[in-house]
Order: sequence, then structure tokens, then C-alpha cells
Amino acid sequence: MKSTSELTGFYYKELYPSLNELEETRKRIVSQLKWYGGMGLVVFSITALWMGKNFGLLHPLMIAVVIGFIVIASITYRFMTSGYAKDFKARVITPLIGAIDPHLLYNPDFMISQYLFERSNLFQHSIDRYSGNDYVKGSIDGVPLEFSDVHAEYQTRDSKGRTQWHTLFRGLFLVSEFNKNFKSKTVILPDQAEKNFGSLIGGWLQSINFSRDDLIRLDDPEFEKYFVVYGSDQIETHYILSHSMMKRILDFQRRVSHPLFISFVHNHIHIGIGTGKDLFEPAVFTSLLDYKQAMEYVNTLQNTIGLIEELKLNEKLWSKE
Amino acid sequence: MSVLLIVLGVVVLIAILMYNSLIGKKNQVDNIFAGVDAVLKKRFDLIPNLVASVSQYMEHEKSTLEKVTELRAQAMKPGISEDQKIALDAKLSAALGSITVAMEAYPDLKANENVMHLMRSLNEIEEQISAARRAYNQAVTDLNNAIEMFPTNLIAGWMNLQRRAVFEITATERQNVDVNALFNR
Repeated sequence: MKSTSELTGFYYKELYPSLNELEETRKRIVSQLKWYGGMGLVVFSITALWMGKNFGLLHPLMIAVVIGFIVIASITYRFMTSGYAKDFKARVITPLIGAIDPHLLYNPDFMISQYLFERSNLFQHSIDRYSGNDYVKGSIDGVPLEFSDVHAEYQTRDSKGRTQWHTLFRGLFLVSEFNKNFKSKTVILPDQAEKNFGSLIGGWLQSINFSRDDLIRLDDPEFEKYFVVYGSDQIETHYILSHSMMKRILDFQRRVSHPLFISFVHNHIHIGIGTGKDLFEPAVFTSLLDYKQAMEYVNTLQNTIGLIEELKLNEKLWSKE
Repeated sequence: MSVLLIVLGVVVLIAILMYNSLIGKKNQVDNIFAGVDAVLKKRFDLIPNLVASVSQYMEHEKSTLEKVTELRAQAMKPGISEDQKIALDAKLSAALGSITVAMEAYPDLKANENVMHLMRSLNEIEEQISAARRAYNQAVTDLNNAIEMFPTNLIAGWMNLQRRAVFEITATERQNVDVNALFNR
């Protein structure tokens, strides 16, 4: 695997012609957006003034107009930038992933299957809407892995019968083979209860969580502070979460600063990083040649794929073939 | 009068909850010890194989190999207590550790596919045993805490629950590896 500086070099050297062309498109889109935005603002002001004179500013129709303008604006924005986003993925992200490792395949429109997402046991709510993009599949050091952006939602109805959508998980989701054999389920979640209520009451609250398997206390106090672990087999959970594995997960958590969801099911490790946003989308209002922007694409990819090495999933110490 | 009844009811309820949680903890310890036993047995099953395949190479380690065989026989005897088992396990781990280190001196051995496979299996079982020990120690700590802490200690005393022993890391495991000594063999 290539280092971050090598990849940054690749980004600026090999991709330079594509970046330049894309940068031209981006500038054209931005100026078009500004023009449409100005026009929209003028039209909106005139409509608002006219409506204010005839109906009063707080008339229900006024709200409808505001909402209407927002909808039109967002549709226009989507329409104008979608082609650019597609181009960006084909000409920048695809070669970048190829540069990290030629064994990786990339599909910008596909995602991790909902079956794998649900198999992880990380989120117990039923899912009503499942979407995602930027799917990567392949192997690193002989370890099969796949990941993508995932957005899982569920809906509720309030007393007036209106439906509301809630996000269950949004971020990066990765599934990879684990290097030890196991039969049980182990789920690691961010520790909310212990953070909010302290170890005594929080620990008690965790232990009465009926929808989960048994609460498992581990012999690393620092790990316990960040995570809560549920598992169906005490010994196997300790077998998977060796001292060094707990330390590696902890180091990773300290670096990403997003909530981390990890589960071990069916001889696989499932990792959800709750970034709360769609990754690998081009920023329209920042230059593609901007160093910080480039580093973000490179780093996200590097960190995700680097997880295999970081968690040492490529160490075949065990009798697993 | 009714106030007194309510207070009495609450006290009885709390006592029942504490009693049940203590029983739960005790059973957890027994349950995990059964798991520890299972992985230890896995290792016992592997030992005769290992000894048979390395003994022809390792002339100088005859005594260690004999000791391993003997410890295995002792641990396999029916009717030994948990504490004895824990002590024997510690001795056996130390002896197996010294065999692993000694193997470095025999290049023929490392070229032997069969032995390497056995070592890998042993390695994996060692990791499982270590995990089982950690799980057992955690459960024992939970139980011991409940036995000693107020107010569960009152009920534990009445139930005649005893503190359990934890697996201790043996002195040899705790020592840092002396690289110099390895080279000067």
C-alpha cells in the first residue's frame, strides 16, 4: 500500500490534467450558480414585496412561497452539480483507488448490501429506507474487504399521522474477514450511558439492556470508558478482543473523532464510522487544487483501507486457512 | 401499620434481588470455568502429539518434555479441585513456553511441516486459554466484589459463599524475555 505523501503526489501529478479540466467546469458551475442565485433572489424579493403588500408578510401563502423557492433552488443545485460529481468520481476517485491498490474495484453508484448491514447486529431498529454509494470491494494483503457510504433511515408517525424520517446511521460502513475463527456475536458500541451517568449507574443501565446479549466487562479500563460491549459468549469475546486489539481500536477511535460501531459476527468484522455525511462528494465551492481538500479525499481512503493493517487483520498467526 | 408493611416488603424485595444477583454471579463463574476447562482439555489433547513429534529432535530437552507429560497426566486425573487445576495450568504453561523457546535452537524442527502445524494450533489454543482466563478472572472479580461489598456481603455471609481464586500470571510469564540469554545458549 502507498503512503499518504505518495498518494498526494499522485493526486497532484498524475491527475493534474483531469483536475484542471474539472476545475474549469467547477468554476463555470459556480459562476452559473451565482447568476441563477442572484436572479432567484431578485424574483423572490419582488414576489415577497408584492405579496406583502396584498396579503401581509405572515400570510400562509408567504410560507408556501418561501418553501417553494427553497425546493426550486435545491433542485437546480442538484441538477447543475450532478454531472460534475459524476465526472469527479470517474476521473479522480477511481484512479486514486486504483493507485492505492490495483486489486480494488470501485463503483460510485453501488453500496454495501442491506443484508450485510443488518447482519452486523449493530443497529436493531428496523430499516425503512436504505441507500448509499461509493462502493469499494477487493482485497488488501489477501484480506477480503468491502466498504461504502451508507445511509439507513426509519420512519415514525406522529399523532397527526405525519411521517417523519430519522437517521439510524450515516457514514462509512466496512466489512472484512477477521483473522480468528469464532461462532458467537460480539457488538461494540459507543458508551453513552457510562459517559452521562458515571460508571456505577451507567454500568447498571447497560446491564439491563434486554434487547442485547449479555453485557461483557473487559479488563481494559480505558477501553471500557469509550465503549460498551455485548456478546453471546464471554470467552470468545475475550478471545477476539485481546489486549492488543482493544488498544488498536482505542487508538483508531482517538484518531477519527466520529462515533465508532464495531461488531464481530460470522467470522467477519463490521465497522461503522458515523461521519454523518456523504464522503467522496466533490466540494463545489472549494477549489479541487486546494491542498486541504485533496488531503481529505486521500486521507479518507487511506484511513479506511489502512484499517486492515492498523487492526492487523492481515496477520495469519492462527490455524485459520 | 401499613407503612411498616410497605417498608418490610421493600426490604424483602431488595434481599431477594441481591440473593438472585449473587447466585447469578456464582453460576457465571462456574459456567466460565467450564469453558476454561474445555480449552485446557483441548491443549491436553494436543500435548502427546507434540511431545511425540519433537522428542526425536530435542535430545537436550528430554527432562522438560517428560515434565510436560507428567503435568498433563496430573491435570487429567479426575476429582482435582479448581484451585489445583489453576496451579497445574500455570506450571504447564511455563513448561510449554520453555519448549517453544528451545525450539529456536533446532532448525530441523522448524522445517518440519507437521511440527509447525502443531505449534500453530498450540499458539491458537494458548490465545484461547488466555482469553478464557481473562473472562474467568473478570467473573471471579465480580463475584468477589459482591461477596465483600456492603450490603451484598451480609447475604453472601448468610449464603456461605466463598471468595474464589483468580488465575495469576506466572513469574516466568511476567519476566521480560532476556534476549542475551537466548543467544548465549
